[in-house]
Amino acid sequence: MKDPRLIEISVGVFVALGLASLLMLAMKVANLADFSAPPGYEVRAYFDNIGGLQVRSPVKMGGVVVGRIADIGFDSKRFQACVTLRIEERYDQIPTDTAANIYTSGLLGEQYIGLEPGGEESFLKNGSELTITQSAVVLEKMIQEFLYNKTAKPEPQSP
Amino acid sequence: MTPLLATLGRLSLGLFERLGRGHLFLLSVLIRIPGLLLRPRLLLQQMWSVGVESLLIIVVSGSFVGMVLGLQGYNTLVTFGAQASLGVVVAKSLLRELGPVISALLFAGRAGSALTAEIGFMKATEQLSAMEMMAVDPMARVVVPRFVAGVLSMPLLAAIFTAIGILGGYFCGTGLLGVDEGAFWSQMQAKVMLIQDVFNGVVVKSLVFGAVVSWIAVFEGYDAVPTSEGVSAATTRTVVHSSLAILSLDFVLTGLMFN
Amino acid sequence: MNSPSSGPDSIVRIRNLHFRRGSRAIFDGVDLDIPRGKVTAILGPSGSGKTTLLRLIGAQLASQQGSVEVNGANVQTLSRDGLYQLRKGMGMLFQNGALLTDLTVFENVAFPIREHTRLPPSILRSLVLMKLEMVGLRGARDLYPRELSGGMARRVALARAIALDPTMVLYDEPFAGQDPISMGILVRLIRELNDALGLSSIIVSHDVAETSSIADYLFIMAGAKIVGAGTPAELRESDSPMVRQFIGGLPDGPVPFHFPSRPYLGDLLETPL
Repeated sequence: MKDPRLIEISVGVFVALGLASLLMLAMKVANLADFSAPPGYEVRAYFDNIGGLQVRSPVKMGGVVVGRIADIGFDSKRFQACVTLRIEERYDQIPTDTAANIYTSGLLGEQYIGLEPGGEESFLKNGSELTITQSAVVLEKMIQEFLYNKTAKPEPQSP
Repeated sequence: MTPLLATLGRLSLGLFERLGRGHLFLLSVLIRIPGLLLRPRLLLQQMWSVGVESLLIIVVSGSFVGMVLGLQGYNTLVTFGAQASLGVVVAKSLLRELGPVISALLFAGRAGSALTAEIGFMKATEQLSAMEMMAVDPMARVVVPRFVAGVLSMPLLAAIFTAIGILGGYFCGTGLLGVDEGAFWSQMQAKVMLIQDVFNGVVVKSLVFGAVVSWIAVFEGYDAVPTSEGVSAATTRTVVHSSLAILSLDFVLTGLMFN
Repeated sequence: MNSPSSGPDSIVRIRNLHFRRGSRAIFDGVDLDIPRGKVTAILGPSGSGKTTLLRLIGAQLASQQGSVEVNGANVQTLSRDGLYQLRKGMGMLFQNGALLTDLTVFENVAFPIREHTRLPPSILRSLVLMKLEMVGLRGARDLYPRELSGGMARRVALARAIALDPTMVLYDEPFAGQDPISMGILVRLIRELNDALGLSSIIVSHDVAETSSIADYLFIMAGAKIVGAGTPAELRESDSPMVRQFIGGLPDGPVPFHFPSRPYLGDLLETPL
């Protein structure tokens, strides 16, 4: 039988290593935004098509993440998707006529909402609605349009 | 025709008898687990021989698997220009599948076979019988600590395997193949889910595998024919049956969790 | 066939024991009384069920029919606690010692004491050393079983068997495969311990000479029955052919030399004869 103290220490180290690995996996590898969503205020935006947007997808302004999607639902009266954005507390000076567009990061990347600031003097607060929105680009429709344009009659020449 | 049927019948009955014995055995192990808490020394001793002594193979294999993932992942992704997503590929593959499954297979081969051989040997040399005659319950003293040590060690080993694997993929991808460091980690952090990937994969799967492999290992040892051929056959059975169980359970669990 | 006067002082009393393994009858209606405080030996050819008898006494096996009583209590109907108490009062020496291979000699002897008592380490140490001294192996206390010779391993196992001061010690083929010196040591130890500690000893063996030299009473088993019983002197005078064959080590007799087979000539010529 080995020295019992040596065994205790080694097993302790082993368990510590294992837990540390688990911690590392949870912290550095996984998406911690699951649990550490910073507090913020919520605004709504309606889209015809949200494409591949998901809950927890980022909301960016000028490329900087200012918030995350908190909820996605469907409004059966307006027949539009209702997206709830949670914007961080500190970004409290976003004009009410800001536009919300759905973009794709990179060619195959995830989709996010980009905010283009407007010019109004009043700012968004909890419960506001973003009225100017642009839906996600759907690949099939784009191809359809492209083909349609290609087969359309050429424009008449100006005299 | 009749001899064939008779053989089939006999084999089936034997199979059912074995399954029944195995399950009754598991029950008697589970019942004795609370008693183990009164004797932590026994558990510690087994965590050493089952867990700590498996570290070497787990760490080495984990790093190699991670590095290979880095290489292969890169080769495939680069054809789409999506090599920045290498982190996601490496992390998800390891967390969901390769981490728990490969470390369980290695565990079955190294620790599982050792458990079976130990217990079988003790049976063959009448040590278990001697304990019984000394009014010491061999199940509580020999079998249960080994079983519990196996169940507890498995998720820890899987976590270590996965973490080292991801690091291996990182060094391979960024160091050797030039993938951007920031992209590697940030893409990974954006896409890997805590509950689905980390918890379901590494924790739940490896707990299940740990329980099954430890069960098979201690049962085969306890049930072995008490001769040297008997112990050898039992050890082989442990490795084979454990491996089959791991792979088939993986299929079932993956279907349940990731659908 | 004759038990000693089934006096009131039989530590083990077996009545009408029937035990089969598969289709083979190991015991077919056996009655046995083992006297207290004496060395009793059970002799018989290999495979006659001697080890099985020890296991029945220790309640590791259950018979299909009949009773096995130790100190008046039927071991087959004992509760968990009863069994526990029974085994604490019983020491058993297995054929190859059955020492725990990952413990030292000292720890092996200390094992039952640690498991069943809460004695402080200093007293435990003294106890273990005393037991080891009794078998002459106090100096070997830090060796591992793999470093011991067969004879030494058995002596350690003996020390372990008496660690809790039992009232009865069972010996399973203690003399099998021993060199003359180890044999002599063991023989002497068994007798001396029995008398010094007031034990009842049951030896199961097929070594007639050594066993007869220390046993107070002998039983001879063959064909699932007891075929001879008595003191060594009585048996030497017996005129039962079975007893004579066994005691005398005769190659042929009631236990035939030839395994049952067809007539020799017919077999050689491959014709029915």
